Amino acid sequence: MSTREIISTGNDLAAIASVDAGCMFFGGYPITPSSEVMHTISDLLPKVGGAAIQMEDEIAGVAAAIGASMSGVRSLTATSGPGISLKAENLGLAQMAEVPLVVVNVMRGGPSTGLPTRVSQGDVAQAKNPSHGDYKSITLCAGSLAECYTETVRAFNLADRFMQPVFVLLDETLGHMHGKAVLPTVEEVKAGIKLRKTFDGPAEEYHPYGVEQDEGAVLNPMFTGYRYHFTGLHHDKNGFPTEEIETCRKLIERLFHKVEAHQDEIDSYEEYMLDDAEIMIVAYGSVSLAAKESIRHLRAEGIKAGLFRPITLWPSPVEAIKKHTDRIKKVLCVELNIGQYHSEVQRAAGRLDIDGLFKVNGRPLSPYEIVNKVKEL
Amino acid sequence: MARTLMRFTGVGGQGVLLAGEIFAAAKIKTGGHGLKTATYTSQVRGGATVVDITLDDDEIFYPYANDGEIDFMLSVAQVSYNSFKGGVSEGGTIVVEPNLVHPTDEDRKRWNIVEIPIITIAKEEVGNVITQSVVALAIANTYMSAIDKEVLVSTMLSKVPAKVHELNLKAYELGEKYAKESMAK
Repeated sequence: MSTREIISTGNDLAAIASVDAGCMFFGGYPITPSSEVMHTISDLLPKVGGAAIQMEDEIAGVAAAIGASMSGVRSLTATSGPGISLKAENLGLAQMAEVPLVVVNVMRGGPSTGLPTRVSQGDVAQAKNPSHGDYKSITLCAGSLAECYTETVRAFNLADRFMQPVFVLLDETLGHMHGKAVLPTVEEVKAGIKLRKTFDGPAEEYHPYGVEQDEGAVLNPMFTGYRYHFTGLHHDKNGFPTEEIETCRKLIERLFHKVEAHQDEIDSYEEYMLDDAEIMIVAYGSVSLAAKESIRHLRAEGIKAGLFRPITLWPSPVEAIKKHTDRIKKVLCVELNIGQYHSEVQRAAGRLDIDGLFKVNGRPLSPYEIVNKVKEL
Repeated sequence: MARTLMRFTGVGGQGVLLAGEIFAAAKIKTGGHGLKTATYTSQVRGGATVVDITLDDDEIFYPYANDGEIDFMLSVAQVSYNSFKGGVSEGGTIVVEPNLVHPTDEDRKRWNIVEIPIITIAKEEVGNVITQSVVALAIANTYMSAIDKEVLVSTMLSKVPAKVHELNLKAYELGEKYAKESMAK
């Protein structure tokens, strides 16, 4: 893999990644600590023939992005937790109607308006189910400056592959952190772009939602001669509302199954110094940086600690977690929330004795706090 | 080189962020690693702001300065001086703008407190208050010898508009001069 080096921030890298991945539209509304995503992409998109619109509010921002995606282009919105709360209804619509979209959420303290300028990982549970109803979220979580770029690129490809919104979680620390990122070249990113499927047969044979149970809808761009209906209601193979018993069951089961059946294409995680580890720390996002630093200190003192870092948070890498928790007795989940992923690790491990170190005052967790907690285990 | 940790503090709007970005970028230019993080409040103007700068030859994971490990701090506002001085290691250097920051006698025993009128220098000697971040950059680098001067200055110039290159060069030279004078005392 050929690489290049960029000195930048996480938010800017998410914007640059979007454009490199072929995104042609941004719809959103500025909110701390994600605003720089919008600032930067507003500058970049017009230069490649795309468009960025600051809408009147968060709701209109995601609605515009969904509309752009229906017309066939890769589309982005970016916000923070309060914005996701507002966008929730439309995110449910995109899940139901199977509209690909990338949603960058730069997490800050919550609930409500919370701590606008401070770091948090309080939106992990929200990303799993931002709106009502049943569907299977795909949520990626960057753990370094480079991943603010690479995970955004991956999100665009997964959105088109599975035909649904894909979340990219950043947090205030990563979003505003300024440093070096080693990235794949633009050529390599372009070569890896896999656009959504389209149908090019006779229009009367086109049934966008009439697909196999493990596949996403095939949505041709609007206004290209292939007519179909678009709705949040339960719908038939052509998108028209229906309450037919079997159609309704199969639709929702398919929204789950299209993701579950191909989890191997979505799974991503890092195993850091786990081979000989007697203590496993589970951390993601910016907290994993503190965890890695704490492992340096612990190892220097002869304590064999390692890190499991989920990069795809949802669906969770259940098998990989269990493989380690079956072997390693002492497991510590470290999060800037009160255990939103801790319960998922417990579930994956089939164990209730998973320890936790949680912090929710808007301040980052320091490596020493983790070192001290590990020593108490 | 061991890890260098520096902290710049002020209030929102003073422009303390830029110096941090210049340090990080210059260190990366020399083949090392540099990170800048900023912490600020929701106040648009006037809230305590802190910028942490970590420079190392090895990879840096955690981007903030751990309390008690900071080698050098520079402060141009009392509110942020009070909030963040605790992070500086015993005997470490704290440069303050004496017109705006008033350290206690106890502080003077604990740390090497240096008074340089950074804002007055920028406003009256350089002629533009906005150059205070470059004055601060020069002072920090003179004290810490963190980065080769030539690399730091060229990185700084690449981040400011061409029409103010002269002004910022003057700010750097003045900052260095004042820092050297204070070190000689």
